[in-house]
Amino acid sequence: MAKLFAVVKREYLERVRSPWFLIVTLFGPLFFATIMVLPGYLSIRGMRNSGVSQFTVLDATGTGLGERLADRIASRPNTDSLPPALAETVNAMPVVPRPVIEVLTADALAAREAQLVTEVQEKRLVGFLVIDSATVDKGEARYAGRNAGSVGETERIESALRSALLSMRIEAAGISATTAESLTRLRISLSADRITDRGKGGSGLASAFLGGGVAMLLYFSIVFYGQAILRGVLEEKTTRVAEVIVSSVSPDTLLAGKVLGVGAVGLTQQLVWLSSGVFFWTQRGALFKMLGMGAPPPMAFPTVSPTVLVALVLFFLLGYTLYASLFAAVGAMVGSQEEANQASQPVIMLLVFSIIFLQPVLLNPTGRLAQIVSWVPFSAPIIMPMRMTATEIGIGELAAVLAGVLAMCFACVWMAARIYRIGLLMYGKRPSMAELMRWIRQS
Amino acid sequence: MTDLALDIRGVSKRYAAHVAVRDLSLSVPRGTVYGLLGPNGAGKTSTIRMILNIIAPDTGTIHLLGRPHSDGAIQDRIGYLPEERGLYKKMAVRDVLRFLAELKGVARRTADARIDEWLDRLALRTPEKDWGKAKVDELSRGMQQKVQFIGTLLHDPELVILDEPFSGLDPINAQALKDTVVDLKRRGKTVIFSTHLMDNAERLCDAVCIIARGEKVLDGAVAAVKSENAGRTVALALEGSASPAVMGVLQDKALVERVDDQSRFFEVELAANADAQVLLRRILEAGARIARFERVQPSLHQIFLQRVGASGVEEGMSGHG
Repeated sequence: MAKLFAVVKREYLERVRSPWFLIVTLFGPLFFATIMVLPGYLSIRGMRNSGVSQFTVLDATGTGLGERLADRIASRPNTDSLPPALAETVNAMPVVPRPVIEVLTADALAAREAQLVTEVQEKRLVGFLVIDSATVDKGEARYAGRNAGSVGETERIESALRSALLSMRIEAAGISATTAESLTRLRISLSADRITDRGKGGSGLASAFLGGGVAMLLYFSIVFYGQAILRGVLEEKTTRVAEVIVSSVSPDTLLAGKVLGVGAVGLTQQLVWLSSGVFFWTQRGALFKMLGMGAPPPMAFPTVSPTVLVALVLFFLLGYTLYASLFAAVGAMVGSQEEANQASQPVIMLLVFSIIFLQPVLLNPTGRLAQIVSWVPFSAPIIMPMRMTATEIGIGELAAVLAGVLAMCFACVWMAARIYRIGLLMYGKRPSMAELMRWIRQS
Repeated sequence: MTDLALDIRGVSKRYAAHVAVRDLSLSVPRGTVYGLLGPNGAGKTSTIRMILNIIAPDTGTIHLLGRPHSDGAIQDRIGYLPEERGLYKKMAVRDVLRFLAELKGVARRTADARIDEWLDRLALRTPEKDWGKAKVDELSRGMQQKVQFIGTLLHDPELVILDEPFSGLDPINAQALKDTVVDLKRRGKTVIFSTHLMDNAERLCDAVCIIARGEKVLDGAVAAVKSENAGRTVALALEGSASPAVMGVLQDKALVERVDDQSRFFEVELAANADAQVLLRRILEAGARIARFERVQPSLHQIFLQRVGASGVEEGMSGHG
C-alpha cells in the first residue's frame, strides 16, 4: 500500500510540477471565460461595425416602400418584450444609419444598377438593394454588395423588408398607418423550458449547453490523460526504468499507481477549472461591464440533481479508468512514439465513435439512437452524462448502464494488466494479435 | 534462518522459440560474492529475472534469504541493477533516488541522509556542484550509471544482484564498483553478479557458476573450480616475440590442446598425454629464449573456454539470455 502511494505520489507530483500543467490549467479558465464572453462581445462588435455599412436602396416601386424600409432599418428594435437586462444591452447599442434612398423609374433601373456596381467595386459603396414591382407583388428583392455573404446583414434587411411590405399591404387593406405600424412591429421570443418529473428544470437550451459541455470535457479529459498514461508507460519502457521498478513493486501496483496518479492530476485540473468556471459565471456581469458590453444575456443555470451529479462523477471515473487501462496496454505493447500513434488508433476510434454521436444525441436525447449509444459501455461514459443533463433518465436505466460500464471496466483493466505485465519487459518487434492473446492467457 | 542467500532448485524457463534455462540448480551462501558466468544468450538475465520474480519460472523453486522469492516482503531486502539501465530522464537526481528508496520502504529522512552520503562518496556532490539537483538527462552516462548504482544500494539490501554491472563502465567507475562490492562483502552482504568478463569474476568472486545454453556447466568455490581443472596448464613467457618455429611447436596437437596467445605471453593447455618437459625442450630447440615456464592453475577464462568452448556461444541471441 505504501508502495502504491509512492508510485501515485511520483506520477502526481512530477506532472503537477511540470510547466505544461500550469499552462493548461491556467489556460482552461481563460478559455472558459472566452467562450462565455466572446460570442456576446463579437455580436455586439458586429452590430457596431454594421453601422458603418450604409447602403443604397434603389426604389423603383413607385409606392414609397423604400422610405418605409429605411425607417425600419434605422430604428432600434422594439425592446418591450425583452427581459430588462437584454433590453438594456440592446438600447446601449448604436443606431444603425439610415440607408440612402434613390427613387427612380423601372426604365432607369438597369443603368443606375450598373453604375452602383462600379461604385461597389471602387469601394465607395458597401452595397445596394433593389426593390421594384416584383417586390411589392411577390416579395422578391435583390441585394448586391461586398457584404452579401453576411447572414446577419441579409436577415436584417429581410426582416425590415417583410415588416415594411406588411405595413404597406395592411394600409392598402384600409387600416390606418399607425395601427399598421403597431401591428407589424412585433418581435417573437420563444423560451423553451425543460419539463422533468420534478417540474420545470431551467431552460432547455442551458441544459443542452451543460450536457454538451460535460460530454466534451469528459472526452477531452479521457483523451488527454489517457495519452499521458500511454506516454508514461512508454517512457518507463524505453528508458528501461521499468525493470528497476518491477523489482520493487508488482507491475499491477505500478499500473494502478499510474492510473490513480494521473487521474488525480486530471481531477485537480478539473477542480481548478470548475471553480474558476463557477467564478466567471457568477461574476460575468462585472466582466461584461469591464469590456463595455452592458449586461450579459440572461441564462438560468440548469438545475442538476444530486443523483445526476453522483452519476456524472461515476461515469467520469469509470470511463477514465477504462480508457486509461487500454492506453497503458498500448504503451506496454510498443517500443516508440510512432508505433504508439499507430497502435492507439483502435482506442482512439472508440472515443471518436462516442463523439460523432454527440450532436445527434444532443438534438434528440430521447431518441432510439441516443439510447443505444448511451448504453454501449465504450461510449456510455461520454454520451450518458450528456443525456442525463438534457433529459430525464430513469434510475433503473442509469444503474444498468453504470453496471455495464463497470463490468467492461473490469474486463479492460484485467486484460490491460496482463498485457502490461509482459509487454513492459519485451523489447523489439511489436506483438501480433496472436502473441497478444498468448500474453493475456499465460500471465 | 537458513545460511543460504539464494537457493535455486530445478528451475526451467521456456519461451515460444527456445529454452532459456534448463533444470538449473544452484545455491549461494550468505556473505559471499558469487559470479554467474556465461556467454551472451546463456540464460543469465532470464535466471536473474526469475530470481527477482519479474518473470515466472515454468518449473522449479527459488528461495531468497530463506523465503520463497514471490514473498512481497523479500523485495525490500534485495537490491537489483538490471543489465539495461535507465532512469526517469526528466526527474531531478535526488527525486529519482528518493522514489527508488521509497519503493523499498525506506523512510524519507533515512533516504535523504543516505543519498547525501552516497553522492559525496561517488563524487556526485562536490563543493562546486551538487548533481543531486540536476535532472537525470543533464548527467553524463558515467554519472547516470553511478546514480543507478546508488539507487540499487540505498535501502542497504542484504542481497545485491547485479546483471552485467561492468558493461559500459569506464575504468574509474569500474574500480568504484569493485571497491563497493568488496565493501559490501566486508559488511556481510551477499553479492551476485553476472558477467562475461572472467578477469573481474576471478578477482572478485568467492564462488562461480558457469552456464551455457541455459544449462549449468560447473559451479563451486573459485579455488575448488581451479584446482579441479588444474595440472594441465603452463604459463609461458618469451624474451622477444615468438618465431614461426616456436609457433609451430605451440600448434602441435600432440603436445598442445589449446593455447591462449597474447604475443609474448602464452597460456598453454597441454594435450591429454603430453609431457611438459617435452614441450619445454621443443621450444628451446626452436631457438626461443624463455623468460618464464611454469605449471599453473588455469585462469577462469581458460576454464571457461575449455568447458564451454566456442560452441557454447549461440549465435543470434542478443543480450537477453
